[in-house]
Order: sequence, then structure tokens, then C-alpha cells
Amino acid sequence: MRILLSWLRELVDIPDSAEDVARTMSTRGFAVEGIETVGTGDAVIDFEVTANRPDCLSVGGMAREVATAYGVKLRTRGPGASPSGSRGGPKGPAPRSSALQITIENPDLCPRYVGAVADVELRPSPTWMQTRLEAAGIRPISNIVDVTNYVLLELGQPMHAFDHARLAGPEIRVRTARPGETLRTLDGQLRTLSPEMLVIADAERATAVAGVMGGGNSEVSAATKTIVLESAYFNPLSVRRTSKKLGLKTEASVRFERGADPATAVNAMRRALALIEMIGAGRARGGVIDRYPARIKPGVLRLRREKIAGLLGTAIPDRDVRRMLERLGFTLAPAPGGWRVAVPTRRVDVRREVDVIEEVARHYGFDRLPTTFPALTTAPPPVDPRIQRARDLRSALTAAGFFEAVTFGFIAERAAAPFAGEGDLVPIANPLSELFAVLRPSLLPGLMDAVAHNRRREQRDVRLFELGARFMRSTGERQAVGCVWTGAGAPEHWSGSGRPVDFFDIQAVAERVCQALGVEVHTTPADERWLMPGRAAAVFANGTRVGVVGQLAESIADDHGLPGNDPVYAAEIDLDALPPAAARRAVRVEPLPRFPSVVRDISILVDEALPATDVRATIRDAAPPTLVRVSEFDRYQGKGIPPDKVSLSLRLTFRSSDRTLTDAEVQDAMTRVIAALKEKNGAVQR
Amino acid sequence: MPDTEVRTAIDALRADFRARLAAATTDRDLDALDAAFLSRKNGSVTALLKQVGTVPPDERREFGRLVNAFKTEIESAIEEKRGAVAATRRPAGAIDPTLGSRPIPIGRIHPLMRVRQEVEDIFARMGYEILEGPEVEDDYHNFEALNMPPDHPARDMQDTLYLGVPIAGGTWGAHRGRVPEAQVRAATLLRTHTSAMQIRYMKTFPPPIRLIVPGRVYRRDQLDLSHTPMFQQFEGLVVGRGITLADLKGTFEAMLRDLFGDVRVRLRPSFFPYTEPSAEVDISCQSCGGSGCGTCKHTGWLEILGSGMVHPAVFEAVGYDPDEVTGFAFGMGMERVAMLKYGVDDIRLFYENDLRFLEQFPL
Repeated sequence: MRILLSWLRELVDIPDSAEDVARTMSTRGFAVEGIETVGTGDAVIDFEVTANRPDCLSVGGMAREVATAYGVKLRTRGPGASPSGSRGGPKGPAPRSSALQITIENPDLCPRYVGAVADVELRPSPTWMQTRLEAAGIRPISNIVDVTNYVLLELGQPMHAFDHARLAGPEIRVRTARPGETLRTLDGQLRTLSPEMLVIADAERATAVAGVMGGGNSEVSAATKTIVLESAYFNPLSVRRTSKKLGLKTEASVRFERGADPATAVNAMRRALALIEMIGAGRARGGVIDRYPARIKPGVLRLRREKIAGLLGTAIPDRDVRRMLERLGFTLAPAPGGWRVAVPTRRVDVRREVDVIEEVARHYGFDRLPTTFPALTTAPPPVDPRIQRARDLRSALTAAGFFEAVTFGFIAERAAAPFAGEGDLVPIANPLSELFAVLRPSLLPGLMDAVAHNRRREQRDVRLFELGARFMRSTGERQAVGCVWTGAGAPEHWSGSGRPVDFFDIQAVAERVCQALGVEVHTTPADERWLMPGRAAAVFANGTRVGVVGQLAESIADDHGLPGNDPVYAAEIDLDALPPAAARRAVRVEPLPRFPSVVRDISILVDEALPATDVRATIRDAAPPTLVRVSEFDRYQGKGIPPDKVSLSLRLTFRSSDRTLTDAEVQDAMTRVIAALKEKNGAVQR
Repeated sequence: MPDTEVRTAIDALRADFRARLAAATTDRDLDALDAAFLSRKNGSVTALLKQVGTVPPDERREFGRLVNAFKTEIESAIEEKRGAVAATRRPAGAIDPTLGSRPIPIGRIHPLMRVRQEVEDIFARMGYEILEGPEVEDDYHNFEALNMPPDHPARDMQDTLYLGVPIAGGTWGAHRGRVPEAQVRAATLLRTHTSAMQIRYMKTFPPPIRLIVPGRVYRRDQLDLSHTPMFQQFEGLVVGRGITLADLKGTFEAMLRDLFGDVRVRLRPSFFPYTEPSAEVDISCQSCGGSGCGTCKHTGWLEILGSGMVHPAVFEAVGYDPDEVTGFAFGMGMERVAMLKYGVDDIRLFYENDLRFLEQFPL
């Protein structure tokens, strides 16, 4: 709300420093967006008026707040008072019914309608009025339109002027729109109205959308000789629904939907008629017609001293409470333990005792409240294990060279599609753009975009991870961790130890993620649409599939605009599928081995397609329990090895917890192992 | 050559030798020096010795003694220097430690998560429970129970992203046993604030409450310098007997000083549907120390979080008696904190995940 300082100072005696006023009011709940100097020594202060305070969307409303903040009197002005202080106002009986008839068909949607008729001559308004409108950001149009806008700014009451000659009847009928009824609004748009919308009609047709915008068919123009002025109170919800449905927001609709003041309607009308007369725009034809079928009474609330202190943490002296509230227009009557407070109808935000207490706190000053600390009265509950889980993962993955990324929860449908089954994507009903059309079914598309971003900026080696939710219709919202890796597996170094990343790097990352959470996993070959065939594996923990790891399909990399042909490896683990974290907190230490271990290596020739896990399983099954470890240490194909075969070298470690193993028993174990490999896996010892 | 001339010649050679010896630093230098003075062919001492024929016969003996003594002097000086050079020579297999080390790759925690962990730690020290909640919500928990009935101006369609189909939301609080409000059965929207968890928590657990809920929230905002359609928030909730606005003030002063260092904290009245009274919390601008600058729009203050005393309508919605308990709630944006703490002026940097940005944060 742009407020001209000189206008404000007509109503309250305050310092002429805009900065002073801005500073004071920002501590009273009116943040200041900016201060503009205008003319000579005048300023416009742009106050941010919160949605609950429509009563402050006017100079008069702000003046009341300013008067309370500075502890000065608000100058009340007669309806005809001019900016220089002279008074006047229309007198006499209401106009004859032949001049205007007003009927309210829906008093629930329009509790009050005030009308008047005036004979006018359209011209530009005087400079002082135009200056004030422009300072508030409103374009001057003509004396009549300017007067309605002036009253809007001064008193916060939206008004409207109809051309009397263009109203059939002449009559004002406040009713809901007829099915299919249309109206060309003042902005030139032809609007189709629906039956729940309230309109202002004449005897025949709609001439305005109530509280939102007037219609072209009754618009005042240079030819207008007589006007009908409207000053009404419309139901906030009705105006809001209509405004939303029409996609039409105006100075009037904003005030009505937040709540205008039914008590101001008549004053505003008197003020408008007085202004018309004062600036020589015309004369009222008689007095005002006030239709108020659904009277809105001021609310009465109790206010307890004990509640003030209980909420604010300090007692506020009675006289301060009374002084501040009365300045704001509340009426106080003593009651047991406090007061009964009558709330002015303009204060739509004050509905409960706490709302009154807020008024007290606001003008007492938050800065004067004491500073205390809430006492702990019970033991703090345990921390969500998910919080610790996130921290464990961050430690493990940053230690593995991964940077944490944060990407959006919604992505383009095209990017999401490969990661979800048919119809499993969750669309957003009102997306900002195609790029944010669906909830992400996987963290990887977002990470791929981040990889592409970095690759386009001279970053060859990229390792990123993200923790967060992913969404599918079938499974709902689930927590996951995603990792992507491209470029070097071991970073480039003059010693030549650098090498590009490969499958076994990302596999290790997936294992590390699970290990960090205390879960042992193994991988088996798998098929995924978004992974390269033969370079994809599923990650299993205790027989449950918890994730996927592999090399991204080239088509996916291309879709994300990844430059170059370097492979990108990715892993994603469903954190909700992992066993609960509580188990990994229980640690029992094993005694250290007291006897030496014996190591034996074997090299075998097996089918290339034989999974290594089968070989290990054969060995474990055949060996005695003294076998504590099996690992591959070499895998060779090429010269001397038949095609379709592979030479696999394994290292077996034997150890007993109660004795030193003899050479003979280890040899015996090895013989059984070799026999089993031959029989089960067709292995040939080399 | 008379005796005096011989002595003069030796002195000249000695001066030359000493100078060149002092300059010699390697075995090669010493070999050259040895050759220059003692080589059989063209050593300068050898040359001097060959002049024995020009010396009178009775002085030849003395001549030979002088020159040979000088020769011995040179030999032992070179030998001594050889020892000294050898002592400074790099041992076999020596490396050049000025070469670049082999990198151990290390990543970084995202700056927003750094802030998040820091704030979590501050509240954990103050005895708060830390919980995560679902990101997709239903209308009741996100709006209605928070005193935002249908058609409330604060819940404009413009601000909220709705789901095309309802889905199951994430669970929370599994570690607290059976939690009836744990699952969002049919989420219809992306939560616009973490406040939805206030309702779920209060419907599940009785007061007193000290709770922090960090997480992602979503609004229908276009990407620009200061807006993203998704951002990170902290929800805080404290409920109990006799909790006051003064407690809120004290808590934020402690928390914000812990987070930002020596700053002043002020409360300004504001409006949120689910708190009454409501307050924006500002800290004194660190760029200018409060005197006013571009960062703080010349006010000396920076808005850092929104807060207030829990609205009685919210207590009524969860079955608490607003005459029995009071409380305060707040919401703080992690981006805002990170931007102020790290001097970031474009919020989009947090979501581009540019390594050149991320690696600027310490390990």
C-alpha cells in the first residue's frame, strides 16, 4: 500500500521524516518495501499490508495505526472535508424512487448496498487529486472515476459509478448471474458468468461483476450526465471465488475478498458526493439510499489479564492495554479478570481473544518483551534414525570422493519415463513447466542433469550423490540415495596410476552405501531399461532387492545432453527397503584370532559366462568351516586361454580359532575344493 | 726460475684453485678441477713441475719439495670436498617431494545440508527432537488443520503444486513405535511448508513438545535469483504449559547467535494463519553491522524466519486444549541462512550442483 506522507500527516500529527515513520511502523507489523521521494519534501512509503489487515489498505486505516504507534490523536474528518480542511456534505432526503430503485436479491452475498444519484459533467479532476492518485499508483481517468478511487484510497471502500442513462429501469438489482449470462467488463474482455457469481444488474441485464469490475454497458463516458454511485459490502468468499474463477484481480476485489467494512459504506458515499460537489464535478440528486438487509454486528470478545501475561510472558499495565486498544477503535468495558472488548466491524482479523492480545503486543512493542527460555520438563525423545542415517551416508560418500547434490523433486516426463513402469509416474496437476511435469521416480535423472551441467563446464571427473524422496503411484513416496560417477576411476597422476571409472567402482560405492548402514549386500546380473545390457546388476540384502547399479544406457546419457562418449555409472539404493537401522547399533566384538592362517592360491579355467559367485559358493560348500575367506585375485582371457573360457585365480584363507592348522588338513581341504569345482563347475585346474 | 718466483707462481695457482674449489658443488666439478691442476697432459701444476729445467741446480730439490707439497695439498683438498659433496648427494631411490601428490578424492556435503546439520545440532543441544516427515501431503494436514479452511486467501492455487493422482506419502516416526498418523494415505499435493508435521505430531503425541522438522517443501514459484519451486525448510514446534512469546524470543536469540555469531535479534509483528501473535524474526545485517547497506535494503536488518504463538484453532484441530497449553512454532528457510552465511547472492547456485561451487565449502 503506497501511502503519501503529506496525506497521512493531514490525519495524524507525526514527524515529517518518512524514514522515522517507516522504521516505527515496521515494528508494528507493517514492513516497508521502499520509500520514494516525490515533489518537494514529500514521500511515498510503500507499506506491506498483511492479508489479514484489509482495513489498512487505505490512508485512513494506516493513519489509525500510525496514531496508535505514535500515541497521538487521529483527526476524524467530516465526509465533505477537503484536503485544505473545509467541510460540506449532501443534505436532504433520499432521491425519489423514480430516479433509482435498489433491490438486493441475495442479502447473504450482499449484506449492504448504498446507492446515490448525481448529476455530473465529466472533466479531468483537479491536479491535487490526480497527484494523490498517481502517488498511490492509480492512473487518473476523469473527475468521477477519480473520486471513486480517491475514496477507495482514503477510506478503503471500493466504489463504482454507473451511467444512469444506460441503466434500464433505472434500477439496481443485486442478484446472481443467470446461466450463460455474459458481460463485457471494463477491461474489454467478454466474460461468461456462472450462476454462483453475484452481479449488479439493471432491470434487464448484468452491468457489473459485484465487487470485481464494472461492465462496459454502463460505463461512464464524456457523454454521461447522471451517474449512479455504488458503495457496498459484499461477502468476501463470494468475491474471492468469482475473482478466482474469472482470473480477474482488482483493487476492489482484493479489498472485498479480504473483508471490507460494512460500517464505512454510507460514510464513503457521503464523502464521494461531497468530493464531487467540492471539485465542481456535479451535484447529488438528493441523499443516499441505504439497503442493509443483513446487519453485521460488531463482535464482542473477552480479554483476560492472565491470558495476556500467559501468552506474552509479561504483564502489561491495564492503562496501556486500554489506551492502545481504544486508539485502534476497540471499545472496552470492565469484566471479571479483564475486559469485554467490542471489535469494530472493519477488524475482520480480530475474532478471538488471542487476536486482541496480538494487538496489545504489537503496540506494546515486541522489543519490550522479556527474553526467557522454555524449561525442559521431560526427557528429550530419541532422534529420528533417518537423521543419523543421512549423516552416515554423507560421511561414507564424501569420503569416497562424492559431492552431495540437491536436485528438484519434479522432472520432465521424458526424463522420468525410463525409470518407472507403465502408468506408474505421478503427474503434477498444475506444473510450472514441462520441465517439472512429474514427481521423480528416481534420483538419477536429476543427478544426470547435474553431471551434464558440470561436463559442459570443463569438469571431466564428476562424482555426485543425492539423498531424498522418489515417488511412484505403486509404491508412493520412498527415501533413496542415488550416485553417479563419470570420468576417472582413479584420478590422473604423473605416476600413471590414473584410470577411467568402471563397473566395479560403482559396485563398490553401492556396497559402501549399504555397509555404512550396517547391511551386507551382493549383486547379481539384472536388466534395466535405463542401464546398458550386460552392464547392469541388482543389489540384494538378505534376499530383498534394494537397488540397482550399472552403466547408464547411451540413449539416457544423450537425452540429458551429456557431451562426449565417456561412460556414466550409476547406483540407486532404496533406503526404505534396507533393514531398520537399530540392528546395526548393536555391536559385539569377536575375539582376535590366536592362531596363524594358511593361504592357498588356485588357478582354474572355467566358462566365461559362469558367475564368480557360483565358483565361490562351490568352494564354500566343499571346504571345511576353517575356510574364512575366498577372493578372486586375477582374471585372465587371451593368449593361451581358449575362447569362451576364462582363467580365474582365487586366494583361499584357512584359519581355526582353537589350533594351528596342519599342512595336511589344508591340503585335504584344497583337494576337496578342486574336485568340487571340477564336478560342479566344469573347472580345469591350471 | 728463482725460488721467489716459484713461490709466487704457486701462490697464484693456489688462489685460483681455492676459488674454483669453493665454487665446485658436484663430482663433475671436482673432476674438472682435478684435471685442470693435476692432469699429466695439461694440468697447471704438472706444467709448473715441467719447468724444473729452468731452475738453478742447487734449488731444484727445494723446488721439487714446494711443488709436490702443493700438489698434495690440492689432492687432499679435492678429496675432502668429494666427501662433502657425497654427503649432500640424493640417496639411491630418492624421490622428488616437490612433485604433485597422488590425489585422494574427497567430496563435500552440500552447503544446504551443512546448514541443516548445523541447525539440527543447535536444536539437539537444546533438547529438541528431530524428525523428518512426508513431502507429499493431504489438504487437511497442509492447510485445513493449520487454520486455513478451503477458500482461505493464503492457499491460492498459484502457490501450491497438486498431484494428478493421489499417492501414498512417506512414513515417519517408525522408531517411536506404532504411530497412527505416520502414513499419508492419499496425498494430493506437495507440502508447501513443513508445518504439516505439526498436525501429524500433535495428533500422535501429547505435550510437552520440542520438535524440529527439516525437509524439502514446494511452491509454484518460477526460478529466479531468490526463488526456486523447491526449497528446504525447518519447522519448529514447542508446546507446553506456560510457553510464552518471551520464550520464543529467548530461543531464537540463542539459536541465531549460535548460527550467525554475534548478531542482534529483533521480532516484528506479522501474519500467518496458524500463529497468533505472529512475528518475523530479523537479525542485524552482518555486511554493514546494522548501519544499512544494499544487502539489508538499508534497514540494517535481515529477515531470517517466520514464527508465532500456535493459533488456538490449531490446538483445537489436534485435540489440545488452548486454555491448558500454549506454544510457539516457526519456519526457517535453509537457503536464506546459507545465502547469508556463505555470501551467496543467487539461490539457483544451490540447485545447479556445480562442482566449482560445491568444492568451495570445507571438508
